[in-house]
Amino acid sequence: MDPINFNFLCSEPAVPNGRSVGIIGAGPSGLAATGYLSCLGYQVEVYDKLPKPGGLMLFGIPGHRIPKERIDLGVRNLERLAGVIFHTHTKICCSGPLHDEEGDHFCREILGFGDMVKKHDAIMICTGSWRSRKLGIPGENLPGVFSGLEFLFPIRAVQYCAPNVKVPEVAGKAVAVIGAGHSAVDVAHSAVHLGAAKVFHLYRRTAREAPCGAFEIEQLREMGVEWVEKATPVRILGENEVKGLEISVSGLDGIENRTLPVALVVAAIGETATPPFAKELGLENVRKGEVRWLHMTAIENVFVAGDALSGPSKIGKAVYSGLRSARSLANWLDLKAQDRLDAYEDNDLVANEAGFRRGA
Amino acid sequence: MSGRKTLYIDYSLCIGCETCEFVCRFTNDTSRIHMTRTADGVMVPLYCRHCDNPKCANACPRGALKRDRDGAVILQPMLCRGCQTKNCILACPHAAMFETDRGVMIAKCDLCAQRRQMGMGPACVEMCPCGAVMYVDRDEIPKLETEKSRLALQKVLDHLKLPGKN
Ligand SMILES: Cc1cc2nc3c(=O)[nH]c(=O)nc-3n(C[C@H](O)[C@H](O)[C@H](O)COP(=O)(O)OP(=O)(O)OC[C@H]3O[C@@H](n4cnc5c(N)ncnc54)[C@H](O)[C@@H]3O)c2cc1C
Ligand code: SF4
Repeated sequence: MDPINFNFLCSEPAVPNGRSVGIIGAGPSGLAATGYLSCLGYQVEVYDKLPKPGGLMLFGIPGHRIPKERIDLGVRNLERLAGVIFHTHTKICCSGPLHDEEGDHFCREILGFGDMVKKHDAIMICTGSWRSRKLGIPGENLPGVFSGLEFLFPIRAVQYCAPNVKVPEVAGKAVAVIGAGHSAVDVAHSAVHLGAAKVFHLYRRTAREAPCGAFEIEQLREMGVEWVEKATPVRILGENEVKGLEISVSGLDGIENRTLPVALVVAAIGETATPPFAKELGLENVRKGEVRWLHMTAIENVFVAGDALSGPSKIGKAVYSGLRSARSLANWLDLKAQDRLDAYEDNDLVANEAGFRRGA
Repeated sequence: MSGRKTLYIDYSLCIGCETCEFVCRFTNDTSRIHMTRTADGVMVPLYCRHCDNPKCANACPRGALKRDRDGAVILQPMLCRGCQTKNCILACPHAAMFETDRGVMIAKCDLCAQRRQMGMGPACVEMCPCGAVMYVDRDEIPKLETEKSRLALQKVLDHLKLPGKN
């Protein structure tokens, strides 16, 4: 199998240019930026809290959809051919408490942001979106209630022998999955594969409107998943464990309440971005495009790309964002070295990207 | 015809992540491979097959579409005048000619002609996370096809069939 060629922009290793860039997060956006910069001769060091580079391509999306070897080989080429240094198990800290985000239990080393800024000429934050949205209904904190990422992550991560990782116990139980994006579909698939006795799949709109496409849902139904559309979860029943899920379903004759007899509830309703130091970096302004340099944060030599900036999206968009951000970073370093920052024409603003934005 | 390279996408391997489209956009400004969603909700990229008998080239009154040494069907911007007939766009059975807002306002895949000059393959092929896009000799395609890929392709072709077109 051929690797993903993150170095696709150059045909041979570049001459070192004497500058060093630190990239935080080795998902598709971070790896694309790494490829771009190493092709220009930058010494790139990549930091990731997980045991292996790949981000959600490796730890979120199921293995049968993206071949693991393709990612592994691509990363190895970055190391061997482009001289990139990977620091895995390393978290760059931290705006929230540790263990607040998925995958934190893997990190063995914690580095402060200040050290990074001193060590590298510039930094790029590509940390993705790793905090799950909450349902906001009673019973949500019961054991047996998961977010999409909480449910899926251990299934992949357990292969890397982390002491605290446990695959959710699903066999023989009834499961309710809420949401209709990619991760919800993946959760429903995984639940079936883990031997769930019954899987209910709830969505607040119809199958036609589902972001994952009606085709995916049809496939799930063929696997025996019960699709419940126009359904809103109302409360999760039980005292020490989940005993059921009360939902309201709007049908032809108005709204009807139903109780699903489930022991597990997975709310795969999306994640929010988890950049370290969101406030200090002024990410809100970067998102709105109110910055002079494409993807530059409030700290001059710190850039940001991928889901960390724009929230959950798709691999393609993350890659594009990583590449553009890397180009902007390299331009900025060059002009700065020549003391010509004024020469920058800000036609590369994030706001210009708006036209490309589409529903996920 | 042997020795002629083309792009081949195994739609059964594609996960609809849009990496091919965005990498193409980064490389060529305007993307020449486009994600579409079929009526039954499958996400698939539309792309140029560099056909043996390219209908776009036949339809172009100025002969602006030509095959290059490697077998890629190339739009020559110096001959194309971006005419309003849009014959090439209408003629392509794979919906692989695109309107843009730049230059002659037509963009199409040239199998990354510039990159090939430097011994590199098409960018989308290099970066597809799934290995679904392949840069292959036309003759190899039958060997690469599987029952699954044929089924997936049929779904896409059914979707592409426009009213009044067979
Ligand atoms: C279950 C699921 C299924 C999906 N399915 C699809 C699909 O089929 N197709 C598709 O196109 N997209 C899919 N997506 C979305 C896609 O995976 C993401 O949009 C994409 O991976 C984002 O890339 P990224 O580089 O921005 O972030 P990520 O891939 O999230 O990578 C971020 C990296 O940063 C690391 N990190 C985070 N914080 C720190 C820190 N403080 N210090 C050090 N390292 C840190 C993480 O460990 C991770 O490796 C799916 C997402 C999920 C959750
Ligand atoms: S990059 Fe590959 S998997 Fe992603 S949409 Fe394109 S062909 Fe499909």
